[in-house]
Order: sequence, then C-alpha cells, then structure tokens
Amino acid sequence: MLRPFALEEPTSVREASALLAHYGEAARLYAGGTELLLAMKEGLLRYDYLINIKTIAGLAGIARDADVLRIGAATTHRTLERSPEVHTHFPALTHLEAHVANVRVRGTGTIGGNLCFAEPHADPGTLLQVYDARVRLEHQESARTISLEAFFVGPFEVALGEDEILTEIQVPLLPAHAAAAYRKFGFLERPSVGVAVAVTARPDGVRDVRVAVGCVGPTPRRVREAEAMLSGKEVEAVRACLPAAGELAGRAADAVSDLHGSAEYKEYLVGVLLRRAFEDAYRQDMAGEHSDG
Amino acid sequence: MRFEKQVTVKAPRQVVWDLLWDIAKLASCVPGCQSAEMVDPYARYRATVQEKVGPFRLTVPLDIDIVEHNAPRRLIARASGRDRLLQSHVKVELALTLLEVDPQITALQVETDVAVLGKLGTLGHSVIIRKGGDIVDQFAAALQAELRKERG
Repeated sequence: MLRPFALEEPTSVREASALLAHYGEAARLYAGGTELLLAMKEGLLRYDYLINIKTIAGLAGIARDADVLRIGAATTHRTLERSPEVHTHFPALTHLEAHVANVRVRGTGTIGGNLCFAEPHADPGTLLQVYDARVRLEHQESARTISLEAFFVGPFEVALGEDEILTEIQVPLLPAHAAAAYRKFGFLERPSVGVAVAVTARPDGVRDVRVAVGCVGPTPRRVREAEAMLSGKEVEAVRACLPAAGELAGRAADAVSDLHGSAEYKEYLVGVLLRRAFEDAYRQDMAGEHSDG
Repeated sequence: MRFEKQVTVKAPRQVVWDLLWDIAKLASCVPGCQSAEMVDPYARYRATVQEKVGPFRLTVPLDIDIVEHNAPRRLIARASGRDRLLQSHVKVELALTLLEVDPQITALQVETDVAVLGKLGTLGHSVIIRKGGDIVDQFAAALQAELRKERG
C-alpha cells in the first residue's frame, strides 16, 4: 500500500533543486514514477515528499542542435519511440524504446527517470553509451555536463549531488558511415543481458567499433578492450575476432549470478549478442542505413 | 549466493583472532553495525546491521550462532534476521580462516553464503554480492586501523 506523501510541484529546475536541498532524504524527484511508485507501494522506499518535475516547462522534449540530439530528462519512452528525429538519426534507439518493459511503462516512464534510478537490469543506459551520450546535471547555482559512463556509479547509484537534477541527455550523432544496434535477451520483464554496438565501416574495412554491455554487472559499461580488438580490421578479420572479443566483453561485464541466470550463462550470452549486434550494425552500414553521415 | 574474498592485515594471527572476540571493537569495524551484544560467550551473539544500496536502506537485527571456533585459525558462524519494514529475510553463513603469512602478517579468508529472501531479494543478488565484497574490504581496513591503534 502506498503511504501518504505530500506532492510538490515546482515550476523551475532551480525551485526543484531548492526543495531537494530543503527536504534532504525525506524527498525524491518524481517523473513517470514507474520505478519509484512500485518500490514505494512495496514499502521498499519511503518518502514524505515527492517533487513532481513534470510541471517544469522545457524538461520534456527532443531537439536537434547541430550534431547533438538533446533529450529532456522528462521525455517519455513513448515520445522517444515515436520521434521522427530519433528515428532518422538513432534508429537503434527507436527500436530499443519500442521494447522497453511494457506499454504502461513506455507511456509514462521517462528516460531521465530510467537513468537516475540506475536499476542494473535496464536498456537505455547501455545503448546510449555507444553514442558517447552525456548528461547535464543542474542545481540551484550551476550546471555541469558529464559522460553517461561516469554518471553510473553502482547499482541504483548515480553521480547526482544531493540537490542536483538530471535535466538533459545529450546524444552526439554517430560519425559518417556508422550505425548502431542493441540486442537484448531476457525471460523476465527486465532484460537479463543487453549488448550495444556502434560500427563505423566502409567496404574496405571496419574503422571503429564501440561496445557496451548492460544488465550483467552492477552498471552498464563500455568495454574498450573489446573495442580495441575489433577496430581497424577487415570485416572477416573482425568476424574472426568476435568470439574472443565476446569472451572479453563477458568477463569485463563483471557478471554475477542472480535470478536472471548464472554468471557463466550471462558471459556466454554477451558473446552471442555481441556477434548479432555487430552483424546488424554492419549490415545497416553497408546498406547505407547509417544515421545521417 | 556465495562469495569469497581474502584480505591481509599487518598483525600477528593471535592478535587478530583475539580482536574477533572483542565484541565492542569488532562491531566498530563492521560497516553498518549499529549494535552488538554477547548472549552466550563463544556461542550466541546479537547484532543489528544497517546497509544502504542506493536509496534502499536495510536494517536487520541478526541472531548469530557460532558453529565452530578453532583458535586461532578458523571460525564458522551462522546469522539470520529479518528486516521488518522491507519484509526481507537475510541468512548468512560465514567462515573465517586466519592464515599466518608471516609472524606479523595475517591473511583473513572470508567465505560467505548469503541468502536474501522476500522483497529485497527481487532487487537482484548481484547488488548484494557486490556490496558484500565492499563490506569485507571496509571491514579489513577498519580492523587494520583498530589493530594499529591497539598496538600503538
């Protein structure tokens, strides 16, 4: 049962930040509430105040600014899924957003809420890392922008200060002749393993490969050791390296046995999904379906 | 969920062993331990530990039974308790082995089997195991600091 709480409805980021500073641990930001309210109903979390940030103008929406897509933190998964801008430049993100959790979550859950809750078994944080996404964090007096990679500190823990608010996710366009793909596997509602790959390729070879693994360990993370193994090779040479890179990515993901499966099983799946995601991104590249180039 | 970890402390094995039975000092070294008391020496203890995983706060009063103690080498204990608010049961089996690396250095081998049942269990064991590793590291650092203090 949901315990009573007071709802604050600030109209600016500054005001929301001041409320956070004022109430401290008794308050939490509230956007879609798809994670937070469930945890509160279960009695896992208790807050006396929820600060509704959906009332802040300008915090939801998608805009392209030169080579960067700016996504307001309160933008819902559904809005991202249906955005022509996202579909044109980040088709893998459109595909991911169309398959996040279930239809109820997609309709109300927000991208910012998803990232801030930092549930290890989530999708967007993994794919966004191969785009080198950054997050803008604001509080009363100032703002800073950090990489999404640095934003994830641990399970359910992010690099937000006490009165800081995630306001925007900045996603740079992929370079020319690049495409991304995200593959996941799960038998529960949450994914058990997720692998994202971005490939920059020309007919004469694969210039650059970015790899991120999520759900397996405490946080989604880039696996630069695997990227180094796959980049700058002819495609057949990359394919020959994929099993070894998959093994490496599996180990680097810091897999732990849990309800989703044993560590060994997840490591194996990372390899399988890495191969599939690579082939998917490479096929898009060769078909000229890469982002805008 | 099992995990193992080995840490070393700079103190003779007997000194480390003795510290393990000094409940007040030991409690001060265990991260999140809010209180500890002896019920029956070398057999039964009680402690309350609090741990935070992101926004989730777990408070568990634990009943601890010493299953085996073989001075100054090995200690096996079982602990169990229930967080009332989170309606989650925690069961821990702990085996501590003290190895003499040299007369002034002791390796502390920690083997644990942790089971979390109930609502908190759904958060994922990965979180608990990860936290367990951190706790052992912090425990070793605190133990080392306590020994340093004791030995001047």
